[in-house]
Amino acid sequence: MVSHTATLAHRAVLAWSNRWSLLALLLALIMVAPILSVVAAATGDSEGLWAHLFATVLPRYVANTLALMAGVGGLSLVLGVSTAWVVTRYEFPGRRVLEWMLVLPFAVPAYLIAYVYTDFLDYAGPVQGALRDAFGWQTRRDYWFPEIRSMGGAIVVMGAVLYPYVYMMARTAFKLTPHTLFEIARVHDRGLFRTVGLPLARPAIAAGLALVLMETVSDFGTVDYFALETLTLGIFNVWLGMNSLPAAAQIASLGFLFVIAMLVLELMSRRRRRYVDTGRRMRSLARLRAGPAGSAACLAVCLLPVTVGFFIPVGVLLSFVVKGYALPDYGDVLIVTLNSVVVALAVAALVMAAATLMVVTVAYRPSRPLTVLAGIASSGYAFPGTILAIGVVTFAGAVDRGLDGLISGVMGLSFDGFLTGGIGLVLFACMVRFQAIGYGSLTSGMNRLPRNVVSAGRVLGLSLPANLVRVILPLLGTSFLAGGLLVFVDVMKELPMTLLLRPFGFDTLATHLYQYAKDELLEQAAVPALLIVLAGTGPVILMNEALRRLGEGRAGSR
Amino acid sequence: MRGIAVAAPGERTARAGRGLLARIGSAMRSPAHVSVFGMLAGLAGLAWAAADVQAADELNLYSHRQPFLIEPFLEAFTGETGIKVNVVYASKGLAQRLQAEGKNSPADVVLTVDIGRLAIYADKDLLAPVESTVLTEAVPAHLREPDGRWFALSKRARVIAVSRDRVPAGAIETYEDLADPEWEGRICTRPGSQVYNRALMASMIAAHGEEKAEEWATGLVANLARRPQGNDRAQVKAIYEGLCDVVIINSYYYGKLASSDIEEQRAWAAAMTMVFPNQDDRGTHINISGGGVAKYSRNKETAVVFLEFLTREAAQLLYGTVNYEYPVNPAVAPAPEVAAWGAFKEDSLPIVRIAELAPTAQRVIDRTGW
Repeated sequence: MVSHTATLAHRAVLAWSNRWSLLALLLALIMVAPILSVVAAATGDSEGLWAHLFATVLPRYVANTLALMAGVGGLSLVLGVSTAWVVTRYEFPGRRVLEWMLVLPFAVPAYLIAYVYTDFLDYAGPVQGALRDAFGWQTRRDYWFPEIRSMGGAIVVMGAVLYPYVYMMARTAFKLTPHTLFEIARVHDRGLFRTVGLPLARPAIAAGLALVLMETVSDFGTVDYFALETLTLGIFNVWLGMNSLPAAAQIASLGFLFVIAMLVLELMSRRRRRYVDTGRRMRSLARLRAGPAGSAACLAVCLLPVTVGFFIPVGVLLSFVVKGYALPDYGDVLIVTLNSVVVALAVAALVMAAATLMVVTVAYRPSRPLTVLAGIASSGYAFPGTILAIGVVTFAGAVDRGLDGLISGVMGLSFDGFLTGGIGLVLFACMVRFQAIGYGSLTSGMNRLPRNVVSAGRVLGLSLPANLVRVILPLLGTSFLAGGLLVFVDVMKELPMTLLLRPFGFDTLATHLYQYAKDELLEQAAVPALLIVLAGTGPVILMNEALRRLGEGRAGSR
Repeated sequence: MRGIAVAAPGERTARAGRGLLARIGSAMRSPAHVSVFGMLAGLAGLAWAAADVQAADELNLYSHRQPFLIEPFLEAFTGETGIKVNVVYASKGLAQRLQAEGKNSPADVVLTVDIGRLAIYADKDLLAPVESTVLTEAVPAHLREPDGRWFALSKRARVIAVSRDRVPAGAIETYEDLADPEWEGRICTRPGSQVYNRALMASMIAAHGEEKAEEWATGLVANLARRPQGNDRAQVKAIYEGLCDVVIINSYYYGKLASSDIEEQRAWAAAMTMVFPNQDDRGTHINISGGGVAKYSRNKETAVVFLEFLTREAAQLLYGTVNYEYPVNPAVAPAPEVAAWGAFKEDSLPIVRIAELAPTAQRVIDRTGW
């Protein structure tokens, strides 16, 4: 490759990276556009609604949103970090199976689990029924039972399906922490978890938590079902109840600011530290064999979230099918499943390609505008899906009109517009929404790469793309795979954007399910619901396999 | 997937070229490049594969009604006319989509439930005025827009459901009674901001003025047995569970529960009795499902034919058998399924007032915390 002088090679690298920066900048701009169009909608006149909102519901919306974020975030941290540490640190019976099972709840959509638990825990459900039989209670007024449609209920069901974000990130981080560091702590007789494990995993855990919080802020299905007055519910009340999209967009932007503020805080608090792998022979921490009591404790810690987040919801759905409530038209379901899988695959590929481009250019050619843009481009996750979808369709409509003017005005041809109303728009919308996941997982992987790896490639005269293919991507392999699979599963579950933007007659499993779930008729749609979960399970297992190999094959690979 | 298919031929062409093309070609040597170019080409390709070209004998429908509820109507329409109907269903945001699409929109007909949603389309100037004597004869004047931009197609009553065992007949007869302290701790509803409750609130404002209506809402909230939650089914279930004695529901939920395949749901329905409120004064508040022709439809004649079809006897009866709703066409008697509940006097307030008052109603709801 190095056929000329070093200066020439250097210039070539510069030229290349410039072109790449340009491409990345362009892509980031396109992806930021829908977010900007939401913000632009927020600049519209809200006709004095804010005074009314401040005086009435806004304090409640904000307080509830903060409580929900704190609750779901806290629960996800506790469940995710504790289980990740247990499966990395200890050896106990069932560990290998639990290691991947712990990711399974991720495949269950939050709106689904909310529904299922209401059915499971309410008066007519099996739990209260059994209690009544056991104690001879007659009516609801004879005893107290926790209300599932409550803040606490929402925290539990959302935490139970969102903690895998934290679990996966934390587990990877624990595995990648060289055992030599743990030995230092051991020598000094300090707790391994508190002094080494947790601090070194902090950026990864923060990345996972950020995804949890963004999903919490933007969730509509669960809070609507539980009638919790959060900002998201407020957005819809203002938009549809008071016919004010500007005020709705303003509230959405407020929720967005919550998330951004938190991310900035976290970044600032660790600005001066860098977390880089420097060890040559990196072996993960050897696992401790747990005794009988320890094993039981480990099992309990790991089984709890899997049971709550996966086994019970799947069990309830299966019982609908067994009782014969589900009325699937298998031909339809097959097509719909295929649609879901194709869309999810396409979005996963698009997101990972876009994220790679941005992460690599940001790392190679760090320029302030690009860094900021790439960051904003990957924050679409913090908007409720429907609001982001409106941003997307508004942007696409404007582009279509522009093209229309250009084509009919300049070339005299008629043009029907091709951006709105096509499957391409669904893919683009999902790409904007889930870019956060691809970008987040690659960034945390990239930050672990020692700078000198990249510099070494440069010295060898590798161009940026060659460097990317031969050096960076192989090292980022697992982050890439994990990000892609997370996006895949998330798109399988995605509902509001697909629902609003899809072309005529196009259904995914989630939209097919929704027409029943909206009317609380989930029994009839149990089969598509199970298929969403099932389709998510395969990738989850695959992802785990990759992570496992990462932990165990690492010493040899370097 | 498509991205790769599009990129592969592009790669060969580029390599064969000179100059810029050759450079792109050399850039394609690595898989990463192919993936990036593939991504861009794929996006373009997919965008192009967008918006299906519409055949003349097809009709495109934007619907706020669930597909499984409109399917029987579409089948009947296609059977009668040979015209295929394509549907996009979403519960929120279709008006914004239609607006963003502007004159490129493929939509011909908009169908909604709740007058509030329907009126939004007219407010945003997204509907075309329609002149059709079939429609003006079939739909009473207070249930359509004067310029013919939207028409009601079916009606549902907002009724009070009471416990069969715990509430004697005649104990509650009006919406106003719901605010009576007598019912403290015995009433359940879904949240006030839900469209049907918001519409009911608007009808109270229309009947009594904002101030009196707010007093009513305060009284109602004080009587609630639990925080407003769940949908109308869940309210009936709460009667069955003994949590509440009096709830507000849309009439069709009773029909759906009473004829459910699920035994447990039939038991919920059996625990309640339906009360049509305000029979001695203005009548029971009703809401509608309705539709209109999209402003930029290229198929307006067919669109009107479709709306007309929905107001004829066969379709009007279908609203009853499919979803336990009442016909709007005065010439059509209610389907036997709903006729069994008895005749009742309905509020004949021009339905558009409900939509006009909705934002005020939402403010009252915010203030009273319903």
